[in-house]
Amino acid sequence: MSKEKILNDLEQIVGKDFASNRKEDLFIYSLDPGASLPRVVDYVVMPKSVEEVQKIVKLANKEGIPIVPMGGGLTLSALVVPVKGGIVLDMKRMDKIIEINDMSKYALIEAGVTTGHLLSYLNENYPDLQPPVPDAPSAATVAGNVLIHGSGYLSQKYGDHGAMINGLEVVLPNGDICKVGSCSLSDYWFTRGPIPDLIGLFTSSFGTLGIVTKLAVKLFYKPKFREVVFGLATNFDDIPNILSKVIESGLAEDVLLGMQDKPDWMKGYIFVIVYVTGESQDEIDANTKVLKRIYRKTNARYMKTPPRIREIYMEKPIFAATAADFRKGGGFEYVGAFLPIENLPKAFKGGAEISKRHGIVPTIGSRLIGQTHSAMAFFSYSFNRADPKDMKNAREALHETNLLALELGGIPWKAELEGQKLILDKMDPNYKKLFKTIRDTLDPNHIMNPGNWEVE
Amino acid sequence: MKVQTEKDWKNIIHRCFRCGYCKFTHDYSDFNCPSYKKFRFETYSTGGRLWLAFGVINGDIEWSEGLANVLYACPTCGNCMENCRFDKFNFMLVDFIEAARAEANKQGFCPENQKFLLERTTNKAYFNPYAEENSDNEDLKKQYDLPDEAEWVYFIGCTSNYRQKNLRDATLRFLKKANIDFTLVNEHCCTSPLLRTGQLSPVKDFMNYNIQKIKEVGADKVITSCAGCYRTLKNDFAKHDAEHDLEIIHTSELILKLLKEEKLKFTSEFNRTVTYHDPCHLGRHSGLYEEPREVYKQIPGIKFVEMKRNRENAWCCGAGGGVKIGYPDWSIEISKERLEEAKETGASIVSSTCPFCRTNLSDANKAFDMGLEVLDLVEIIDQLEYEINE
Repeated sequence: MSKEKILNDLEQIVGKDFASNRKEDLFIYSLDPGASLPRVVDYVVMPKSVEEVQKIVKLANKEGIPIVPMGGGLTLSALVVPVKGGIVLDMKRMDKIIEINDMSKYALIEAGVTTGHLLSYLNENYPDLQPPVPDAPSAATVAGNVLIHGSGYLSQKYGDHGAMINGLEVVLPNGDICKVGSCSLSDYWFTRGPIPDLIGLFTSSFGTLGIVTKLAVKLFYKPKFREVVFGLATNFDDIPNILSKVIESGLAEDVLLGMQDKPDWMKGYIFVIVYVTGESQDEIDANTKVLKRIYRKTNARYMKTPPRIREIYMEKPIFAATAADFRKGGGFEYVGAFLPIENLPKAFKGGAEISKRHGIVPTIGSRLIGQTHSAMAFFSYSFNRADPKDMKNAREALHETNLLALELGGIPWKAELEGQKLILDKMDPNYKKLFKTIRDTLDPNHIMNPGNWEVE
Repeated sequence: MKVQTEKDWKNIIHRCFRCGYCKFTHDYSDFNCPSYKKFRFETYSTGGRLWLAFGVINGDIEWSEGLANVLYACPTCGNCMENCRFDKFNFMLVDFIEAARAEANKQGFCPENQKFLLERTTNKAYFNPYAEENSDNEDLKKQYDLPDEAEWVYFIGCTSNYRQKNLRDATLRFLKKANIDFTLVNEHCCTSPLLRTGQLSPVKDFMNYNIQKIKEVGADKVITSCAGCYRTLKNDFAKHDAEHDLEIIHTSELILKLLKEEKLKFTSEFNRTVTYHDPCHLGRHSGLYEEPREVYKQIPGIKFVEMKRNRENAWCCGAGGGVKIGYPDWSIEISKERLEEAKETGASIVSSTCPFCRTNLSDANKAFDMGLEVLDLVEIIDQLEYEINE
């Protein structure tokens, strides 16, 4: 079928205004703010309903056109830029908040709802509840974030955002609409079990097994008071012990680590950033005292938070895009890697060395996930988008960091194509075989985000 | 920093990270960008436009009619500037778009509808974008018994002079009653429509002409009832090297000044519920938010209510940036959303301080049968009785 005929069919499905093969639209969807090079896009389509998604998938299957679902487009690793051309399915017109269940505490939403929209909606209508919110800009979609195992300020307590999914509505590669989780047999989207848990098929598989159109995410009670308590450490090797003691106290809502060489006053310190919550200021004060004591006993020290810094860190979500603007060059990518906590010291040291080797100011951080069960470490590389050499340099640093993460027993998060290859190289062959079998079964025509997670 | 020159904007535009903050209101409860809300492709966000502009600078994409249309499908309301989080960059976002439009125009891709603005304005019979025979304002001078020389010039602006005469006349009556020493000049377009649509060739000449006309009557102060003229005279003349030392003041500023100095005292009541629509030119582009509000609040009997999105966060009326002429249907759709927001407040009157906002809000009010009354602040004052104390 000709490209014009395909466009015409897509227009029939979503309406003329929401299907495009105009050069300017294809250009914008051919790249993201990360360091990946642009790739070809043939169509951009914005569906409004699951039925429209279903029809698009069936058309793509019939015509053998690759199809790539997109949320906010902020992975930075170009996961929503097609590898083999085809359709980018921008999901942001599916933006309804369908239900808030304040008793079972979940939100049922369409896949295009942004993290900012859900947060704002809850703040206005359910001020005692809070959703999982990443540090990504608020234009990130909830679906996009939870489906890549995102994390945020509730992850220390409750796990990564993938763990906060209660249920999904998915359009499978053959066009079937499938509900996964309790919603497959109940009106309540309240749990993922106790039935075979297939939600995992759709997390971090980057749209290769289906297109999520609705989802339920867990909501959590929001304590009335929240405060950030900074600690300063100077020795990387103290980190695991500091984190363990903080977690053992049971006081921390969120725990971050940060290290960067600029501005100069920050050099040489590892910032331990702990959020405490409570129902009264007295409780916050008491918890702060306990933390001060922990810092003292673990070779760190308490740092009184300057008001300007406090303001930055108390914002929900934190304005993490500051890191992206570090070089004022409009380009930013980082390796996020899930790591065993005991290897954080080596990760910080190794990351700093990689940065320095590439002439990049070391900017490394970490967030605890699920108590001390893992940590998500981030190694940031901002670059000048107008300078191809600088972008290449960033890509090389990212590659070396991926290798470091794998060497330390970790797993690069939302890995770009090169990172995916490194992960697959190290993966148990039978895990790969299982994944390939599932993929080939669900998507025999290989139309779903091909090029990602390609098992040979 | 001036960003109309190639060197300035082309070297910094790529700093946009496309993080998307520019698309939302402060609290993320809604979109703040009329263009993104309408078209929904990322292309139509401010980030999309900046990336397209950088794409053509970098040679990654060629100029085309479609690309130019994306640049022009934006009312340049500046709401993106309020929400972009990159300091020392965010205040230039609209300048970038206008500069990219100027480049599009240079490359021959100015959309047809917007070209009318240039054709009409440079037509020696008109000198205004409405293709109305140029008024030298002599008749008005006679009608209002205005002198040939004065301290102030009332710069009427094309929209008030040719489309919103009621607003113009209300302003003239107020200035006369307030005993302001003012006159009128044979003004030509302030160039706002040309600046917004990147058609810069005659701009400097028009600016210098208007400065000369104002100076000729011995004035050193200019009062304008138009938010667009205000922004242009106050901010844009200097950007285009048409330097002047004139004091530019908006009617709302003058009225407030007179109230504060107790020279103006309202003596009748206005028993209506009124909400105020911030014109983008006056608010986000010029920083005047409180002056009009202080005036409304001092009108006896008035119940003044705010719309949910107000001041820096105000939803645009949809007329600016060449959108009214380029996309007339969409333009009033944008206004419709504003009127719906106004209705939620319980107000029966939507008031503004810009004839162009007044036009578009009125057009939407009529087209969608919204049942509101649209009035300029000066038109409300025109209905009041008041004393002037010297």
